[in-house]
Amino acid sequence: MKKQKWQNSTFIYIGFIVVLAMIPFINDSRSLLFLIMQIFIFGIFAMSYDLLLGFTGIVSFGHAMYFGVGAYSVAVMMDSNEATVMYLILGLSAAVVIASVVSFVAGILTLRLKSHFYAMLTLALAGLFLVAAEKWRSVTAGSDGFIIMIPDILRDHSTMYLLCLSVLALLFFGLRRLTQSPLGKVLIAIRENEQRTESLGYKVVHYKVIASVISGIVASIAGGLYVLTLRFVDTSVFATDVTLDALLMTIIGGVGTLVGPIIGAALIEIAHHWLSDLSDVHWIFERWIILFGTIYILAVIFFPKGIVGTLAEKLGKRRKQRKKEAEQSKKIAS
Amino acid sequence: MKTLLELTAIQTYIDQYHILQNVSFEVPRGEVTVLLGRNGAGKTTTLRTIMGLNPAAKGNVLFKDQEITTLKPYEIAKRGIGYVPEDQGIFGDLTVGENMRVAMQKEDEATQERLEWILDLFPDLKKFWKRPGGQLSGGQKQMLAIARAYMNETELLLIDEPSKGLAPIIVEKVMESIEQMKEKTTIILVEQNFMMASQIGDRFYILDDGRTVHRGEMEELRVNEQLRKKYLGIA
Amino acid sequence: MDLLLNLAVNGLATGMLIFLLAAGLTLIFGLMDVLNFAHGGLFAWGAFSGVWVYDLSGSFWLAIIGAILTGLLLGLITEYLIIRPVYGNHVQQILITLGLMMVLSELIKVVFGPDQKAATPPAWLDGSLIVGDVILIKYRLFIILVGFLIYGVTYYILKNTRIGLIVRAGVMNKEMVQSLGINIRMVFMLVFMAGSAMAALGGVLMAPYSGVIYAEMGLEYAILAFIVVVIGGMGNFTGSLFAAILVGLSQAFMAYYFPALSLAVNMLLMAIVLIFRPQGLFGLKVSKN
Repeated sequence: MKKQKWQNSTFIYIGFIVVLAMIPFINDSRSLLFLIMQIFIFGIFAMSYDLLLGFTGIVSFGHAMYFGVGAYSVAVMMDSNEATVMYLILGLSAAVVIASVVSFVAGILTLRLKSHFYAMLTLALAGLFLVAAEKWRSVTAGSDGFIIMIPDILRDHSTMYLLCLSVLALLFFGLRRLTQSPLGKVLIAIRENEQRTESLGYKVVHYKVIASVISGIVASIAGGLYVLTLRFVDTSVFATDVTLDALLMTIIGGVGTLVGPIIGAALIEIAHHWLSDLSDVHWIFERWIILFGTIYILAVIFFPKGIVGTLAEKLGKRRKQRKKEAEQSKKIAS
Repeated sequence: MKTLLELTAIQTYIDQYHILQNVSFEVPRGEVTVLLGRNGAGKTTTLRTIMGLNPAAKGNVLFKDQEITTLKPYEIAKRGIGYVPEDQGIFGDLTVGENMRVAMQKEDEATQERLEWILDLFPDLKKFWKRPGGQLSGGQKQMLAIARAYMNETELLLIDEPSKGLAPIIVEKVMESIEQMKEKTTIILVEQNFMMASQIGDRFYILDDGRTVHRGEMEELRVNEQLRKKYLGIA
Repeated sequence: MDLLLNLAVNGLATGMLIFLLAAGLTLIFGLMDVLNFAHGGLFAWGAFSGVWVYDLSGSFWLAIIGAILTGLLLGLITEYLIIRPVYGNHVQQILITLGLMMVLSELIKVVFGPDQKAATPPAWLDGSLIVGDVILIKYRLFIILVGFLIYGVTYYILKNTRIGLIVRAGVMNKEMVQSLGINIRMVFMLVFMAGSAMAALGGVLMAPYSGVIYAEMGLEYAILAFIVVVIGGMGNFTGSLFAAILVGLSQAFMAYYFPALSLAVNMLLMAIVLIFRPQGLFGLKVSKN
């Protein structure tokens, strides 16, 4: 019974992915494909954030550092060697290793304490990474950044597009599987009630650290893809704005849903795109953070479940209502 | 105006739990009313509901014929209700004197007189005036909590299990003081220690499963063994 | 000798600025269990509003008063609109205050323009003091003085006045304070406003010290303040003074000898504290009563 339901939603998602995969064959406009790729990449990034915030109830303010680690690992690896697929894979592996170490250390240090500590430590750590990237010019070229070559096979936009889409699809199904696994159940239990989970015999800290590490790894992959599509890297990949983007996407899209953050990523990326066009009209549109920040604050207060969560709740309520009505009418009939 | 406090059909929830399901009682002015009942019967929650700390979802609380059901705890305290919680709620880092000072809303003569009277009743507090509250003995903490709750022109004192965790001889002492306080203020006492309650109580209510199930004069409970067995599990 | 002394004065001055930011953070955390990630935004707003008043009036004292008023007002609005709806929910508090931080920083660019601004000390604080053969910069000494003054006044209030006792009692047991007839929400608001005003004062004092102010400085200093709060012990007022001085000094000395490592050293300090003494170097064991 349950399995049937699970498969239904999987079919819907696969259908969506197939439709998305056809886009480059219908319209291969560079700017359109680029925009959608950014949505995919930030969708991955926001999903990794959702695993922490939405499923485990951990707030990180340094998610940009994993993104930046991914970006620089890939960029530096290919820049200092050759722009081949092998070095791309090596770069991504380096990204994964560094991100796991950093997220492991941050988790071990603070996840046994109150939630403020992880938020503070990650904020400070991300600040450290930003400063380091700016100071260590021989490797990072500082805020000037540098252009990178990418493997020939990825020079074609459609191929790159399909790569981003498949990584998104792979990670989406992987993370979904994870959240539905026993491990995911424990994470959700931690979010709902940490003490109760602990008293049931689970080592809460271990599970939180695992969530922190997986989230860091996925975020670094997003960063790696990001430099591939941009063919350029600078220190802005470590900026607080990147973390803020993840926050906005996850909160507005819907925490704890995985799909929500992807939808959030689409909304924010499209709005970015649209508002930066408008900034030629009036400078106030450059200050888009004010608008998004306000929406975000209102969302935290009034719609803490975001778009997907709120919709799901409404639908669920309606379904319940309908069930109730059906039962009642049955009662009356009998 | 003989009735000082009146609860009518009070229902209180804590989170999703329906703790008080139907609590009604009257507290006459100048008497000691004792709330009895097993653990988990809802005695502490009843006091917290009166104080506004766990507001009632349904029913009314009348104090001096005025509705206080939905007031905030501080507003209720200002009307003249003092609260001594089960854990006494002493501010551990603050000295005895500072604990008292936090409670003193006014600095007028009447407050000064109250302070002198209560310090005469609890000379230990005067003696340890500058000692941090956290370093007091259990009995002294109880005294400080009672004295502190009395400072605000208090007409009704809610005391939650003052005998808990104290040595019998100290319990005796605390009870004597509570008896002396009767001349100044009305008291609601939650007490498991039946012997003690029967010594100073004037009337009693028994709570069971969040409901008031029995009421009477203290004398009645002293003679009615069956009643004691049924609701309190003591003979 | 000259150099060491100057570095020490520098470090103390930086420490005091961080202290003004951290003190509010720690007090608000201790009393309300709210960690305000927007606190650095109030610091930046203090700097910009103060410099604006200074440019208009030419009076340093008016600039300080302007910054403090800005802090009080923003504190009032923040507590009422942003913090109140999310009391008791840590995750929401953290999320919402960071959002506010971003909005506050961006609003600075809208109100005062997107560029960084120059700031100079008033004439009577400009230049240096020569004691024997040691040259000390007047303005830095002034900051140190103000820092200790604020510490002293706040300490006195917390220790000896009834409102101070209520605040300390509230840190220990909020429910009991309410049951004694005190409107704890009002106390929260006052503390929040006072903390915001301290941050704003730190901001305006910082302006002539560093010479330029920019919207992002709020977040930069907030990171240092968080480090200080962790080292000093969350909710520990005196601890935050010592920790701020420690961080300020390490910042100054490292910036001179190993400039690339200054933030890293402070982070390392924080990491060590988190491992061995998460209650902070100066924090007491958390007692229930």
